Amino acid sequence: MIEVRNLLKTYGGRTVVDIQNLNIRAGETIGLVGNNGAGKTTFFRMLLDLIRADGGEILSKDINVAKSAQWKDYTASYLDEGFLIDYLTPEEYFTFIGSLHGLSIAHVADYLKQYEEFFNGEILNRGKYIRDFSKGNQNKVGIAAALMQKPELLILDEPFANLDPTTQIRLKSLIKHLNTTQRLTTFISSHDLNHVTDVCNRIILLEKGKVIKDFHTDENSLKELEAYFGE
Amino acid sequence: MISIFLSHQWKSFWRSRNKAGSIAAQIVLGFFMLYFLVVAIGIGFWMSTLIEKFMPGINPTVIFNGLILYYFLFDLVIRIQMQELPTLSIVPYLHLNISRKTIVNFLNIKSLFSIFNILPWFIFFPFVILNIMTIQGALVGTAYLLSILALVFFNNYLVLYLKRKAINNVAIFGVGMLLILGLAGLDYYQLISIRDFSNLIFQSVAKYPYLSLAFVAAAVAIFSVNSIFLRNNLYTEELSSKDDKKVSTDYPFLNSFGKVGELAALELKLILRHKRSRTSIIMGLLFLAYGFLFYKDKLLATDQFGAMLFAAIFMTGISIVTYGQFMFAWQSAHFDGLLVNKINFRDFIKAKFLLFTISCTIITILSSFYGFISYKLLLLHLAAYLYNIGFGTVIVLFFATNNYKRLDITQSASFNWQGVGATQWILGLPFFLVPIFLYVPFGMMNKPYWGLLAIGLFGLIALLLRNYWIDLIVKRFEKQRYKIAEGFRE
Repeated sequence: MIEVRNLLKTYGGRTVVDIQNLNIRAGETIGLVGNNGAGKTTFFRMLLDLIRADGGEILSKDINVAKSAQWKDYTASYLDEGFLIDYLTPEEYFTFIGSLHGLSIAHVADYLKQYEEFFNGEILNRGKYIRDFSKGNQNKVGIAAALMQKPELLILDEPFANLDPTTQIRLKSLIKHLNTTQRLTTFISSHDLNHVTDVCNRIILLEKGKVIKDFHTDENSLKELEAYFGE
Repeated sequence: MISIFLSHQWKSFWRSRNKAGSIAAQIVLGFFMLYFLVVAIGIGFWMSTLIEKFMPGINPTVIFNGLILYYFLFDLVIRIQMQELPTLSIVPYLHLNISRKTIVNFLNIKSLFSIFNILPWFIFFPFVILNIMTIQGALVGTAYLLSILALVFFNNYLVLYLKRKAINNVAIFGVGMLLILGLAGLDYYQLISIRDFSNLIFQSVAKYPYLSLAFVAAAVAIFSVNSIFLRNNLYTEELSSKDDKKVSTDYPFLNSFGKVGELAALELKLILRHKRSRTSIIMGLLFLAYGFLFYKDKLLATDQFGAMLFAAIFMTGISIVTYGQFMFAWQSAHFDGLLVNKINFRDFIKAKFLLFTISCTIITILSSFYGFISYKLLLLHLAAYLYNIGFGTVIVLFFATNNYKRLDITQSASFNWQGVGATQWILGLPFFLVPIFLYVPFGMMNKPYWGLLAIGLFGLIALLLRNYWIDLIVKRFEKQRYKIAEGFRE
């Protein structure tokens, strides 16, 4: 699904991302962990062709993401509030995103019904623009809009941050469910080791832009990660 | 305590993030202020000469008296539009052990640092000192100074109070403008006379100097009303106006343009839901009066379109100029989102063209009232319109691909230099020079109508080549998008 080759990004002489070789198969749920400055967000941005790599390439379904926009057909993402059009109401935003994928207003409304539980009654019909919502609720809008696109590849940066405990648990089961039913490939970055080991079946640990560890999760994974970060 | 606040403000001004890039803009703004001050001083010192020149035979003091209230009336209108509320700066202090009184005092004092409070000193004081004090004595002069000073304070705090109370600035501005224009109109048709009224008041002040205390009382009253209101409502949530229910809207007209229309509708919402873009629109409508300055009977009679071309291009293309100069940066807050979503860059650029064409058409239709002055102006506007939608749009969008400066569109537009960079300064040159170059040869050969035809044809051809321009801009946009996105992320 995704192939990374000799990917390199430096800012002012400091290497931020330096990944020699990385292969992601379809249906994997990848947890990207690492301290601040490890290069998680920069990697995601290159994966989404938002910044230009200084060297190397990222192939999505064998096509370089920087050369063609084909990946946009099956990739959905939510990195930060910069992805939201914050002067729209949530309904308008969902309709807009839906229209990009050929969904009618009725389709979108229908789709949103299954997320009523996820929204917990705090998102729809509130008579507010997205910018007036709390950060956690903005996150919910962004994540739901990403899922609505029925992606094959989903990229979420710190999705659990700012979410209330109930929604965190709901989001985890949602991702697991989509992974088993639709073979969704997911990238999640998080600082919460519990969540990552719980929801992901593969963990990639970054340090100063390099892949330090890359393993499939089992019952010892959490201890292993805690040992690494506790040093 | 207040001096600490003021020093914090001073630091926040000098250390602000966008300051580094916009020193040039600050300097320009400084020059503007200086210019206004010099003009004010000039008016102040030569007031008696000016009055004698324009209205000979009348006692200058009578005219001067008449001008005072007039000035403060217009001062009020301009303040309503321009004066900023010093509100958000207090947020970091609210939870600290600082009394509300101190914070309110700080807000009140801070609001005094405004050019509006300085200009009247220079305009009125020289005349009062030179002409009134010397003739009518120190007491009367002091009464005048006191009254004018009190009026300055009165306007300052009245506007702050009104703005804090107002939910919708635009509406208040409109109503205020109508009120003032109404008063001026009534004055013009001599139904009432503000000047006589003002003169009457200040003659009374001259006769009974203690009357000036009434002005002081009014100023103190509005000051206390404002302070009390602030002290009782010192919640940032309530001071920043909002909280009416927002509804989702849909523009069926734009839907007929498919995906492009969808994107255009998105941008239309952006324009209508942000302060900075809304003020730009109002400015644009005000500029419709620009023609009255430029379209002179003499120029029209001799068909000198060259001298009127600038005004015509500017008026019909105002939306392109004011909105287009910051192009793409309007969307800087969610630019990443636009890039990762399934949006065809071609549609994205086409939506801009669509929006420009629609707005330009509307404003040109509105400007056709100049046709009452002369049918020639309609021809001029038609040529300018074709140029604007054909080529002006292209220039603006091409330059937009070089604009990397994030724009904070939640702030008001007047005297706002945030997001201004080199692009905005360079952009104007080709935009206004191209049509003038096109016209000049015909103008010199004394064939003014051929000149208009040349501009119109040029615009029309450019319009027919629109697909070519779109390709060009899309290619450039694809190359520049990383740089633009990086700049907008800061």
